[in-house]
Amino acid sequence: MASAAELSAFLASVERRAFKQAQFAVRDADGALDIVQDAMLKLAENYGGRPAAELPLLFTRILQNTIHDYFRRQKVRSTWVTLFSALGGRDDEDDSDPLETLEALAGSDGAESAADKVERSQVIAIIEEEISRLPARQREAFVMRYWEEMDVAETAAAMGCSEGSVKTHCSRANHALAKALSARGIRL
Amino acid sequence: MNENEFGYRIRQALNEGAERLDYKTAYRLEQARRKALMAHRAESAPAYRPILLPAGGPPLEDDGHVGWAQRLGLVAPLLALVIGFVGIYQWQHDQRINELADIDFAVLLDEAPIDAYADKGFGALLQTNTDEI
Repeated sequence: MASAAELSAFLASVERRAFKQAQFAVRDADGALDIVQDAMLKLAENYGGRPAAELPLLFTRILQNTIHDYFRRQKVRSTWVTLFSALGGRDDEDDSDPLETLEALAGSDGAESAADKVERSQVIAIIEEEISRLPARQREAFVMRYWEEMDVAETAAAMGCSEGSVKTHCSRANHALAKALSARGIRL
Repeated sequence: MNENEFGYRIRQALNEGAERLDYKTAYRLEQARRKALMAHRAESAPAYRPILLPAGGPPLEDDGHVGWAQRLGLVAPLLALVIGFVGIYQWQHDQRINELADIDFAVLLDEAPIDAYADKGFGALLQTNTDEI
């Protein structure tokens, strides 16, 4: 059984990646934070008694399910919003701040020059943007395999599909991402 | 560049991006983690379980098994209570019979005070006694 310290260390090690994954999927920082919080709570409440070694795979599955739940709720909500917006006036206000991405990526590495830092931040922002543009299944497979460093079998288990499908998704994601980055002048 | 190398470089960029999260987001993630840990502690805390402690006997065994000595410890007070009630009832019954016998003796031996015969309640009492006996 995972102790509170083990669970804390595990959550601390995955929270940022989980947030980014959720953000790639929903493209909204607040929504992504809510998703991560829900996933953490579900893990702690329902699977806190499991051995620490099982937590990564469990958390990955919970996170993916929570992201899917978010989309389901969004779909229901957008149905109602569409229904009522047809009756009410239009609201064209956009809450997203285009500078947020750059602000979020602003680090404090003193050794790096300001120009290099900005350039690197822009590259990272473009990579993240292109990853979030990948089809959902390809992105999930790619992120689990290459960022979470899960093997094909684990990824297949987490995604609920065959290992062959995982390989196909990963290969397509790789090609699509390489092509998109190349088109934008990014060389890794 | 093969797939693995490409994946490795993307991973580096993503890790860097995750490390560069703004303070507000990092703080909210930390809060979410704390909340989850509190929920974990609440879930793993032992639930309250009432312990039946027989008077003068040992508490129930850990596995909830009740031994014969513990059964006796639970049953004995209940048995004593029932015996007590029956005893009190019998004693009250005897007392009432004795009181009635005293009155009967007093009436038969003509020792009852003269005022008693003038009391309507006394007549009713004698009638009731006759019915009961």
